[in-house]
Amino acid sequence: MSTKWVYAFEEGDGKNKKLLGGKGANLCEMTQIGLRVPPGFVITTEACLAVVNDSKNALPPGMMEQVHSHLAEVERKSHRVFGGRDNPLLISVRSGSAMSMPGMMDTILNLGLNAETLQGLIVQTGNERFCYDAYRRFIQLFGKVALGVPEAEFDAEFEAIKQKAGATHDVDLSSHDLAEISERFLGVVRRSTGKPFPVDPREQLEIAIRAVFNSWSGRRAVDYRREFKITPEMANGTAVNVMQMVFGNMGNDSATGVGFTRDPGTGENVMFGEYLVNAQGEDVVAGIRTPKPVAAMEDEMPRLYRELLELRNKLEAHYKEIQDFEFTIEKGTLYCLQTRNGKMNAHALVRTSVEMVKEGLIDKKQALLRIQPEMLEQMLFPRLDPKVTKKPIAMGLLASPGVAIGVAVFDADRAEKLGRTGERVILVREETKPEDIHGFFASQGILTSRGGKTSHAAVVARGMGKPCV
Amino acid sequence: MRHARTGDQEFGEGALITIDGTTGAVYLGEVAMIEAEFSEELAVLLQMADAMARLGVMANADTPLDAQRALKFGAMGIGLSRTERMFNGTERLPIMIEMIVAETAEERQSALDKLLPIQREDFKGIFTIMSPLPVTIRLLDPPIHEFLPTEHLLVEDLEHLHHLREILRGMQVLSDAVTFMNQTRDNQPQVQKFTDPVLVDEAILKKEAILRKARALHEVNPMLGHRGVRLGLTFPEIYRMQIRAILEAAAECQKAGVEVHPEIMIPQVCTAQELKRVKVWVDEIHATVEKLYQVKLDFRFGSMLEVVRACMRADNLAEEAEFFSFGTNDLTQATFSFSREDAENKFLPMYNQSGILQDNPFEVLDVKGVGRLMESAVKWGRHIRTDMKVGICGEHGGHPASIRFCHSINLTYVSCSGPRIPIARLAAAQAAILEGQRVADKAA
Repeated sequence: MSTKWVYAFEEGDGKNKKLLGGKGANLCEMTQIGLRVPPGFVITTEACLAVVNDSKNALPPGMMEQVHSHLAEVERKSHRVFGGRDNPLLISVRSGSAMSMPGMMDTILNLGLNAETLQGLIVQTGNERFCYDAYRRFIQLFGKVALGVPEAEFDAEFEAIKQKAGATHDVDLSSHDLAEISERFLGVVRRSTGKPFPVDPREQLEIAIRAVFNSWSGRRAVDYRREFKITPEMANGTAVNVMQMVFGNMGNDSATGVGFTRDPGTGENVMFGEYLVNAQGEDVVAGIRTPKPVAAMEDEMPRLYRELLELRNKLEAHYKEIQDFEFTIEKGTLYCLQTRNGKMNAHALVRTSVEMVKEGLIDKKQALLRIQPEMLEQMLFPRLDPKVTKKPIAMGLLASPGVAIGVAVFDADRAEKLGRTGERVILVREETKPEDIHGFFASQGILTSRGGKTSHAAVVARGMGKPCV
Repeated sequence: MRHARTGDQEFGEGALITIDGTTGAVYLGEVAMIEAEFSEELAVLLQMADAMARLGVMANADTPLDAQRALKFGAMGIGLSRTERMFNGTERLPIMIEMIVAETAEERQSALDKLLPIQREDFKGIFTIMSPLPVTIRLLDPPIHEFLPTEHLLVEDLEHLHHLREILRGMQVLSDAVTFMNQTRDNQPQVQKFTDPVLVDEAILKKEAILRKARALHEVNPMLGHRGVRLGLTFPEIYRMQIRAILEAAAECQKAGVEVHPEIMIPQVCTAQELKRVKVWVDEIHATVEKLYQVKLDFRFGSMLEVVRACMRADNLAEEAEFFSFGTNDLTQATFSFSREDAENKFLPMYNQSGILQDNPFEVLDVKGVGRLMESAVKWGRHIRTDMKVGICGEHGGHPASIRFCHSINLTYVSCSGPRIPIARLAAAQAAILEGQRVADKAA
């Protein structure tokens, strides 16, 4: 039997992140617990390794056939046709490895668009402006990611039209302007690659899959893995997630947003997040429009707000962990596009642990295991106000945690004398010795130019709970 | 004016600076802070942790203030109180030096008589705060020359004093000359009287005595030299004073209705014979104090395990010691034959980078080597004394990975610095939970 390279969301094992990547495994799991996820499939990390390890960079035999048969399933479920003129199916092609590597690998949206399907989309949505916008975004993203066209070349054309149209923001551009931008973008691709932009959606898909796979061995991703010590045992290869595109910019009954099942800053048990009506994810990221707090949805879209709350409850009940999720509402239908464990500060972690036990969501053991002990350190020392942006004049070893402010004093005797007068002092020495101890008592903190984490100053300062660098 | 330089920036003594030990950053000027709070939720979470954990978590604390803080962080007692830190206060150090420089046992005793009440008060302070939790006090550990100024500094001081004496002599000559000249003048200029030359001579004598002592005490390898119980046995008066201070403090607390459970801990032990000798003093002083105060004292006598030989002889040591406490900093040095400072400053980073050693063994307990020694020592010790209390008081006691190991070899407690206590409590609970899960997985 030939290797299975592709898994539908309905069949992939949600626990097998190594094979399906974190995102892919999650999409499978979400689909299987009954959340509304757009139909799609995952191409495995094994396929990625086969590609990047192949001297000709060839896709493994049989893989594309499997992709096409799964794509047919997506067409059936979405009641749309890939490359269809009347009712086209558009898809997203996203990377996702076993370990989260945000922004390190490539993603392509709106794949399947060409001059023909564009017309179909216009008929389908009745929103010409949106369609040209999606088209130009796709040419730009595909050109950059899959064909390696420098982004600046697109930007230059974009700005030229904006200026010509007298638009200050992207949203001020008319569908006519966007159509012109699309044409110019196609020209950019032709000039830059020497070939016309690929119009066959199946060809687009194959190029995109290969590009995402190759981004695993791209410079950014390799550096990231080295920096964060991600070994092949932890994550080897990226999966490719292919999913039907849903649009949050199809009118005022559409929206896009991100949510946390609880407030990640305080740990409070309230849904937290932001959304934008009639917008795509890029609008949120680009910061062109200011998103609204998710609570405002209760007034603006009461039914969908209830659905969102339900989604949030299902996520927590299933994952038994705070989730960080993305959603899109397309013409009144709520889709969950992604979920992952939410990252929190120590305060929020502790609070959610205690509250989830009270709520009966998790048991005490789970509550204790989900917190890295070292994180508690954050809660036990005064810390610098994170809002302050001042440049340090030096960076040293973290010898003893906490913050100290005071007057620099260069010997223990003077530190003691000044300290007695109530002055806040910081003992600054090359290194310290036991006879400096009285200076420690009198000081807020200790700064030395020599020594390690276990040298005298560090050990004594830690014992006293005084900051030391 | 003295300066500190950091790259291209400089600040002088007296400049306002901010240091952040959590990130390692140093700032010029003041940076706004937000206070840490020990939240109610954290308290609840850690209570859950305590209920799951098998390991106890104690604190390393040398002063009543440290003890107070440790208690706030949830310490279940003091696992290490270093008495040498108590001798470093400004009013105490001169007495300590007097004791060290003493030429005769009587002179030494007279200095120790002054230190006794001071130590007793120190201990009473900690006992009272920690009551009724156990407090482990380690008798003097470092070589005594650490309390003396360095030879270099003494030589410099003496040079200054000799200069001063010359100058004073010159002043004397001037003064005589002026008296002579005045017989021919109307206006008599005054030659000011400065320091009394006798005082300078005294100072010189004193400094010379200290210098002689510093030279006499000089050791090629102080960390392997005359320290710990070795020092205690050569100068019996010091340990006897400390034992007495501990037991008297306990007796006074008990009289005042404060329940106390001191534990006397002997450092640098390598043979049971050393423990035996100290134990004789303990028994004798114990009897005296109980008689004097008319109370019954409850305390334990135990040994540090920080010498390789002590671990190998743990069964023998257990005949004398009622508890053990691993000093993993020294034990790591001894097991690797690394001097910590030299290792960290010279070759350890290279060792880590090239994978010769996975971690810095002074930060992450070396489970495979040092840990194996510990595991054997625990087994041998408990072979003699079944329910023997065994803990760890090195810095490793506060690190989650090391705590997991301490749990796995059935230690009774870990002891760490105050702010690491909550971390250790959580890590101890996780160790117990994970072990339970592994057992369950195996059974399944």
